[in-house]
Amino acid sequence: MTISSPVLRNSMRLILPLTLLYALYAMLKGHNEPGGGFIGGMIFATAICTYRMSHGFAAQLRLMPIHPRYLIFLGLGMALGTSAIPLLFGYPFLRSAVGEFHLPFSAHPFHYASAMAFDLGVMLVVVGVAVGMITQLSEELE
Amino acid sequence: MKLENFIILFIVIPMGSGVIGVFLKERVRIARVLGVMSFLATASLAIGLLIHLRSHPTGILVSQMGAWPAPYGISVVFDSLSGLLLAASSLVALACYVHSFSTVEPIAEKRYFHPMVQLLMFGVNLAFLTGDLFNLFVSFEIMLMASYCLLTFGGTRLQMTQAYKYVLLNLVGSTLFVIGAGLVYGMTGTLNFADLALFVSKRQAEGRSLPPGFAALSISLLLVFGLKGAIFPLWFWLPDTYYTCNVSIAGLFAGMLTKVGIYAIARTFPMIFAHGNSDANRIVMPLLAVSAAFTMFLGVLGAVSHHNIRRILAVHVISQVGYMVFGLALMTGVALAGCLFYMIQHMVVKSCLFLCCGIMERHTGTDDLEKSGGLLKRDWYLGVVFFIAAMSLVGLPPLSGFFGKLVIIREGWESKWWLSIFGLLTGALTLLSMLKIWGYAFWSPSAKAIERTPQNMSNTSSLRPAYVGATLLVLVALFLGFGAQPVYDIAFRAGNQLVNPDEYISAVLGPHALDELTQYRQQEATRLAAAAAVEVMP
Amino acid sequence: MTIILSICVAVVFAVSLYLMTGRELKSIAMGVFLLGHAANLSIIAMSRTPVRHEPQLLKGAPILTSSFDPAHPMNSIVDPLPQALILTAIVIGFAVMAFLLSLLVLTSRKAGTLNLEQLGTVATQDD
Repeated sequence: MTISSPVLRNSMRLILPLTLLYALYAMLKGHNEPGGGFIGGMIFATAICTYRMSHGFAAQLRLMPIHPRYLIFLGLGMALGTSAIPLLFGYPFLRSAVGEFHLPFSAHPFHYASAMAFDLGVMLVVVGVAVGMITQLSEELE
Repeated sequence: MKLENFIILFIVIPMGSGVIGVFLKERVRIARVLGVMSFLATASLAIGLLIHLRSHPTGILVSQMGAWPAPYGISVVFDSLSGLLLAASSLVALACYVHSFSTVEPIAEKRYFHPMVQLLMFGVNLAFLTGDLFNLFVSFEIMLMASYCLLTFGGTRLQMTQAYKYVLLNLVGSTLFVIGAGLVYGMTGTLNFADLALFVSKRQAEGRSLPPGFAALSISLLLVFGLKGAIFPLWFWLPDTYYTCNVSIAGLFAGMLTKVGIYAIARTFPMIFAHGNSDANRIVMPLLAVSAAFTMFLGVLGAVSHHNIRRILAVHVISQVGYMVFGLALMTGVALAGCLFYMIQHMVVKSCLFLCCGIMERHTGTDDLEKSGGLLKRDWYLGVVFFIAAMSLVGLPPLSGFFGKLVIIREGWESKWWLSIFGLLTGALTLLSMLKIWGYAFWSPSAKAIERTPQNMSNTSSLRPAYVGATLLVLVALFLGFGAQPVYDIAFRAGNQLVNPDEYISAVLGPHALDELTQYRQQEATRLAAAAAVEVMP
Repeated sequence: MTIILSICVAVVFAVSLYLMTGRELKSIAMGVFLLGHAANLSIIAMSRTPVRHEPQLLKGAPILTSSFDPAHPMNSIVDPLPQALILTAIVIGFAVMAFLLSLLVLTSRKAGTLNLEQLGTVATQDD
């Protein structure tokens, strides 16, 4: 359903990129602080669904031209893959590789964990599920 | 790859094939092959591990997820109990899945039928393997979610309205489970089964009582598991649910869903929530005993009164669950082994009966006993399969049901003889209701009013997968009957490990976890010996 | 904090139970969702101080903190496990909500009503 309000339409232009950025921030921050894939994905999906409310379904398709189902598949595959790869090296399921590397432009070493890919997968699943569910339900109601 | 790492495959394989299955929408043939491969893989893995572990000192394999040590991380535990159930459930799933090729509507197959079956098994396998209470909740939810979807696949009005009963009831049950898990964490500071068992054993060895409210907690969890397992006051959702859905799915549900509830009781109650001689034990045991009597007897009375094959079978599930609860109510190692054996054989046999029922419905076009008949003349092979399965369910001697009932009833004869009498009576009534199906559907002369609809005139080649599924299960049932000894060897080990969880605790938490406990026990023993010496002195 | 939380839990439970006694499936569904939220809140309320087995660091850690106090760092660490439990429960509740809402939409399309009594009469008719 679309709400034809010029205020919402114009403010969405500002809100949308900020929300998407914040979703990524919340996802990345989840390694050490509150946040993570689920929360990031939820914020992301909220942004897209609000955009759909203000601009309509066609605009949402332009913004996210991929069917949510493929996001779910990609995310689940990514999460399952990251957690199953350690099995090949004789480690238990879900074992995360951690380490640090130095970036050329930063004094601090960059700390990475392979759990990040898992989290990204979770985020994709959540975005896919939430957007897909709302799209389906609102199509049904229209 | 280390042996411990293999057990996670029980979770990865169904989940992976479920994920891939979502994308095989129109490619039904590939989806079927993938599903069969997945179930074959888990079944052979379970059987292989069980055979391999027979010479293992404890028979327990533990994998710590992400290599986080036990009470903090997530443990996945493969022991004799979960191994036997995994093997049986994978075989049952394989058979029901193959059977569904001839019963499921083509439209459902293109709409995520295959991934949903895989996800159901993902949840079931996770439930059997998980080593902590919260993941048990998660696996229940995965399993229930898939079962909600499978229930409503036809999309008819009757299915919808029946689904609400099932869905809403289970949602309330899940909420209770979350609250229960939170309470357990609040009281003990841990959710790991081994750690909880250690906590309870330690408190008892020290002679201290458990935290106040622990008994209430036990009962609320019993309520949750009992709802899933359909024990006495909580079974009203079951007959309608199994009556409305696709018959292969009903077979799968009859095999899996209630057993997972009973498994949860068997896993947590002897080890933790009713362990040893605690308040919780004193309250839970009579509850279980009374519930077992009512579940057995009322279930079979319901079955005797119905005149519809599917309803008879569905109501029978309740009555058989009663036997398992009977085994649980005795809570000795032998009784739990009997309960486990009975669970396995009931999974196999009951699903087999549902699969036969599916073929019968196709032959006669009805599941009403009054209208059907003459099946023995028309299809003697189905008659043989049905007869073996039905007699296994009743428990005639060389067949599998006998060995399950024998152990439970003999073990119960000394402490709870009245329950054993209920059990024997139920067995007789089970025979009556099975003979009713046999007499009406197979032996009676061919019914006049069989409508020759295109559905029941369908050529037998489309029924071939259905026969394959039923045959597989009847072979497993025969193996359980004639080869009961090797299965019971593993089951006895499982039963003893449940009653005396020391081996489980040290396998999960590491060899030093028990040090403090043995110290307390030795102190207690010396104190008792000293007290006895003082008594003797004067 | 615990008192406020327990009052919240009680209120949410009361509202959800009231909603679940309604005759409309919509209100029953809303009641069930609220029941899940009440359960999650109650986990927060219950798990304030783990009795044992917490890492020494977390002994007596409060469940919710407002700010980081460098002088007493231990006061601003929270026990993470209940939060993990609640997050999982929320995710599951989300999935269940999606399913139940789609079931509601399907039912209202098939049966034309969401009233329990009317559904009971509709269910027996063939479609």
